[in-house]
Amino acid sequence: MPQTVYVVDDDASFRTAIERRLKKAGYEVATYPSAQDLLDRLPDDHEPGCILLDVQMPGLSGPELQNSLSKLNSTLPIVFLTGHADTRTTVRTIKAGADDFLTKPVSSEDLLKAIERALRCHEAARSRRLKLDVTRARIAAFTPRERQVFELIVRGKINKQIAHELGTTERTIKAHRQQVMEKAEVQSLAELVSIAEHLGVLASTAKAGDSG
Amino acid sequence: MKLVRVAGPAVLLLMTLMPFWVSAQEMRPRSILVLDQSELVGPFYYGIFSGLRAVVAANAGAHTTLYSENLDLSRFKGPAYEQSLRRHLLEKYRDRQIGVIVAVGVATLDLVLRWREELWPGIPVVFAMVDEIDYARLKLPPDVTGGIVRVGLAESIAAARAVVPNLKTIALVGDPWDRQVIFRNWKDEVATAAAGLDVVEIIGLRMVEIRSKVAELPDDSAIIYSAVYSNGEGAFYPPATALSFIAEKANRPIVVGAETFLAPGGVGGSVLVPAVIGADAARTALRILDGVSPSSIPPVAGGVRPIFNWEQMQRWKVGAASLPTGSEIRFREPGLWEKYRWQSITAVAILLLQAALITILLHERNRRRDAEIESRQRMSELAHVNRQTTAGELSSSIAHELNQPMGSILTNAETAELILCSNTPDLDELREILAEIRRDDLRANEIIRRMRSFVKQSPFEAREIDLNATIREVFEFLSGQASARNVTLELQTSAEPLRVKADPVQLQQVILNLIINGMDALADVPDGRSVIGRTEANGGTSALISISDSGPGIPAEKLNRIFDPFFTTKEQGMGIGLCIARTIVAAHHGRIWAENQTAGGAVFRLTLPLSAH
Repeated sequence: MPQTVYVVDDDASFRTAIERRLKKAGYEVATYPSAQDLLDRLPDDHEPGCILLDVQMPGLSGPELQNSLSKLNSTLPIVFLTGHADTRTTVRTIKAGADDFLTKPVSSEDLLKAIERALRCHEAARSRRLKLDVTRARIAAFTPRERQVFELIVRGKINKQIAHELGTTERTIKAHRQQVMEKAEVQSLAELVSIAEHLGVLASTAKAGDSG
Repeated sequence: MKLVRVAGPAVLLLMTLMPFWVSAQEMRPRSILVLDQSELVGPFYYGIFSGLRAVVAANAGAHTTLYSENLDLSRFKGPAYEQSLRRHLLEKYRDRQIGVIVAVGVATLDLVLRWREELWPGIPVVFAMVDEIDYARLKLPPDVTGGIVRVGLAESIAAARAVVPNLKTIALVGDPWDRQVIFRNWKDEVATAAAGLDVVEIIGLRMVEIRSKVAELPDDSAIIYSAVYSNGEGAFYPPATALSFIAEKANRPIVVGAETFLAPGGVGGSVLVPAVIGADAARTALRILDGVSPSSIPPVAGGVRPIFNWEQMQRWKVGAASLPTGSEIRFREPGLWEKYRWQSITAVAILLLQAALITILLHERNRRRDAEIESRQRMSELAHVNRQTTAGELSSSIAHELNQPMGSILTNAETAELILCSNTPDLDELREILAEIRRDDLRANEIIRRMRSFVKQSPFEAREIDLNATIREVFEFLSGQASARNVTLELQTSAEPLRVKADPVQLQQVILNLIINGMDALADVPDGRSVIGRTEANGGTSALISISDSGPGIPAEKLNRIFDPFFTTKEQGMGIGLCIARTIVAAHHGRIWAENQTAGGAVFRLTLPLSAH
C-alpha cells in the first residue's frame, strides 16, 4: 500500500529537494506551497500518510493548519519542520498533537525516522478507527428499546431496576439484554462497558441520567 | 616790622575816609570817554574797543554811557593837529559829564596827561596798552592807572627761535621806529636782544621794496614784523593789511606782536590780545565808577599771550612741542578726529562691536560645526547600536531565512549521495541537484551579505541615491520577518526614480524601524495584517515616504511623544527607534511625523528634499 507524505512549505527550492529525497525513499509525495492549498485539496486520511509542515509561512501558518485539521477530525499525523524553532511554538504544537518537531537543516536520516514514526502512528490510528467503526455499526443495529437497555446496563443497573425504569417486566429486559450482547458481539458485561466508553456513550448518558 | 606799624594807622585813616568815598561815588557820572590813538579802521583797535564795550555792556549794576574818540595818531602828528584835537574835544565835551577817561596807547596817554588840567580836571584816567618802558618813563600821577603790556623784542626773538630752531638771522620789518605807535621801543632793544644774530633791517621802506626783500631771506632766518602803516607812496592801511601783502612774498616765517597779525600770515609770537586789553581797561574804569579810588588800583600787566598760527606752523614745519609752554594755537583745522570726535568714537565702537560680534559668531559657528560633527558621530554610533539591537530581534527570522537554503542544500546533498550509491546514477538528476545547491548557496550568501551591510558601522556619508531602490532593499530584507509574523509587507514605489542625497544605510534603518514598529503594532490583530510602504514625489522638490499599518493606531495623546527618546509603548521596547529615525531624518534636512489613518491604523510619513539636477 503506497504511503503519501504531504509536504507544505512556502520555499519552492526546499519542496523540490524534499520531494526528490522522499521519493527516493519510496514515498508518494504531494507538495503544497501554502497551508490553504492543503485545505483546498484535503488529503484522504483513510490512506496511509503524514503531513510534513513548515511552521512559518505567509498566510495560514503551520500551527494554524494543525488546528484546522484537528477540527476536521483528520487523523493525518503532522511532522513540523521549521527554519527556527522557538520553545513556545514547539510546546504548543506538540501539545496540540504534533508527532514530531524538526529543525532545518535536517538530515535525511532524522527526517525519514520521523516520517516512519508518524506513518506507524497513522497506521495504528487508522486500525483503531476501523475497529471503532465496526463497533459503531454493531451498536447502530440496536432497536430503540435495545439502545435504552444498553445504556442502562453499561451504567451498572440490574435488570429489575431497568424493568422498573422502563415500565416493563424483568423477563422482557432479560431478553433485550440477550439481544444487546449478541448484536454487540461481546461475551461479558465488561466488554460491553468498554465499547460504551470508546463510543463515548457513558459520558452522554451520564448527562442524560443526571438531568432525568 | 616797620611796614606793619605804618600799615595800621593807614587802614584806620582809610576807614574814617569811607563816608566821603561813598558820596564821591554817588557824584561820579556814569560815563566813560574812550580815546584811542587809532582811526578804528584796523582790527587791532577795533578789538580793544569791542572788548571794552562788551565788559561795560555786561555790567549789570548800572548803565554807563560810552563815548569814544579815535585820534588817528599814527597817521597824523604835530602840534597843529594836536591843538585842533584839543579844541575839538574841548568844544565837543564841554557840557558832558565824564566819569573816567580811558586812554588807549601811550601816545593818547601823553596827550591826555597834557590836556587834563584844561579839559577834564580831576577826572581819573585809565590807560590801556602802555608799554612797560613807557610806563616807567612817564611818572604818572596817582589817579592815573591802567594796564601795562610787555611787547619786548626779546620776546619776539624767543618766539623766532621756537619757530626756527637754528636761528641765525632776524629780519626786522616795519615803519621807521619813531613813527610806530606800539613797537617803537624796539629800536633801543635791538642791540641787546638780537645779540649773536645777524639783523636785516627792512625798516621804513616802500612796500614794493619790502616785498622783494622778504622774498630773498637766507635760511635759518625769521622775519619779525612790527607794523607797517603805509606803502610809502601815499596809501595808508592798517598794519594787519600791510602784513598780508608782505606775507604773500615772504620766504621765511613772520613772527608778530599782535593777535590781529596772525590771520594775515604771522606765524605767531608773544602777541597783544586787544580784546583782553580792552576788557582789562573796562574793568578798571568800572571799578573807579563804582567808587574805588584810582590811586588804590595798581597798574596791572597783561594782555600779552604766546599764540601761534597752526597753518603757518604747518607751512614752516613747526611742531607744537617746540613752542613756549602755555602757547595757544589758532586756526588749527581740526582733524577728522577732533571734528567728528563722537561720530568717530561711535563708528569705531560700532566697528569694534561688529568685529567682536563677527568673531563670536564665527567662534559659535565653529563650535556648532564641531558639535554637529560630534552629534552626527554620536548618531551614527547610536544608530549602530539600534541596528544591532534590531538585528538581534530579527535573528530568529534571519535564522529561519538562512535555514531555508541550508535545509535544501543538505537534503539535496544527501539525495545526491544516494543517487551516487545506486548502480546506475542518474547524471541528469545529479546535475539538476547541483544546480539547485549552487542556487541555494548563493541565496544564503545574499542573506548574510544583507545582514552584514545592515549591522556594520559606517560613518555618515551622504550620496545621491534612488530612494525607491534603497527602500525596496529594506522591504526585501524584512520579507522573511514579515512572513514569520504573518504580515503582508508591500511596497508601492513611484513610477519615476526619486533621487535624494542621503546616507543609504541610515535611511534604510529609518524605514526598517518604521516597518518593524508597524509589524509590532499588528501583534494582537487577528487578520488583515499588513504593512504598506509608499513612495511618491511631493511637488517636485521633496520625496514623500509613508509606512502605514493596519494596527490599532496610536492613541492621540501619545502622537506627539512617540519621537521622544525612551518613550515606548512596547513592553520590550527601548524607545530609541523612532528617536533615531527622527534624528536621522533631521540630519537629511527632512521631516518625519505620525498620523492615524481614517480607515484605521497608523501611518508614518517622512519627507526628504529631492536633489536638484
